[in-house]
Amino acid sequence: MRRRPGIGGLQTAAAARDQYRALGENVAKLRTDLMKEQLATFRSQLEEFARKHKNDIRKNPSFRSQFHEMCAKVGVDPLASNKGFWAELLGIGVQIVEICLATRPLNGGLIDLQELCKLLRQKRKHDREAVSEDDCLRAISKLKTLGSGFEVISAGKKKLVRSVPTELNKDHNQILELAQAQGYVTVDEVERRLSWTHGRAIDALDTLLEEGLAMIDDGHRDGKRCYWFPCVSSISSFGADN
Amino acid sequence: MQKLGDFKLPHFFNYPPYFTLQPVRETREKQIQLWKELILDYCRTQKIFVIRLEEEFPLFSNSVIERTLSHEAREAFLSALVAEGRAEWLDKGRRNCLILWHRIQEWADIIVNFVKDNGFEDSVMTVEEIRLGIESRGTELQGIDRTILVRALKLLEHKGKLAIFKGTSTDDEGVKFSV
Repeated sequence: MRRRPGIGGLQTAAAARDQYRALGENVAKLRTDLMKEQLATFRSQLEEFARKHKNDIRKNPSFRSQFHEMCAKVGVDPLASNKGFWAELLGIGVQIVEICLATRPLNGGLIDLQELCKLLRQKRKHDREAVSEDDCLRAISKLKTLGSGFEVISAGKKKLVRSVPTELNKDHNQILELAQAQGYVTVDEVERRLSWTHGRAIDALDTLLEEGLAMIDDGHRDGKRCYWFPCVSSISSFGADN
Repeated sequence: MQKLGDFKLPHFFNYPPYFTLQPVRETREKQIQLWKELILDYCRTQKIFVIRLEEEFPLFSNSVIERTLSHEAREAFLSALVAEGRAEWLDKGRRNCLILWHRIQEWADIIVNFVKDNGFEDSVMTVEEIRLGIESRGTELQGIDRTILVRALKLLEHKGKLAIFKGTSTDDEGVKFSV
């Protein structure tokens, strides 16, 4: 910008300088944000790498020193990673695994996320910080990367945490959704509401039964067999304490 | 929590499928375990010694959820207790079941303590006195099933802790302690 002579010119120059400075600050902030983001990504990738190659790092000294050098450059201390946020998250993960294992006989390895959080809070009664559903989800996604077969699936309005390798297909998922209304379904209901053939309904229900996700009930007064789903009835707290 | 008198019922008691014997093995095993614990707990607190499968037993039905255990289910749960040594069938038809919420050996120990606590080491008592006498009031022996009591006494007799002798009728069966 061309300088204009006189006071007017001085004021213009000052305004211009302010504008440049503001722009400069914005650009710097943008760069910093980007850098922070990249750094965060890089750090998590490094942590992932450390996990995957734990044995190599332990056994191979030159590999190990190179790895440490890389970590130092980005301010990651792999040894200190055992404390703080990382470990806290892992701690919750361990407790989630414990709860899922303990309730598996009752619900077949599928548990309502809200119920899981409730049981987790009960377990951690003495901890200063309350555990949120987000904390649970974060811990579960960490568990997932560790390849422990954990998964969060959506069925209707509910989020269910799966801790067994059972693959649930769309048919199973639809039945779980249907079951949320009363806690159970009948074969007729499944056929009618989902417009399935008898065979398709029976197949899906039988699989769910065999996987321990469903229980039969032959005591209904109309004589029709009901298939109950513990995971949608918050049954997992049944019999697990007392 | 639902109650049967004073007794607190566990949550699974209100979940209908638990009243149907489950076909899938793992699920059935868990179901049987829960029912076994419930039956023992209930019998222990209510001092019930015999369960008759064909009669009304409070645990076999839940009117709130309108479910009743089939005969097959009742037999399955009680058979599991028998296999564990916590019950015995009283008849071949498996219609009547003796519940051992204390094993016979445990009852024997209770009797020995009872004798020592009351200074009966060299005394003579009738079987009925042990069950219903003043000294047994407030103790676990009060109202103990006669079959179980006699079995425990026989166990102790075998160990030389007492001698059982018959009176003129079964009610007079007596015990001389040498604890």
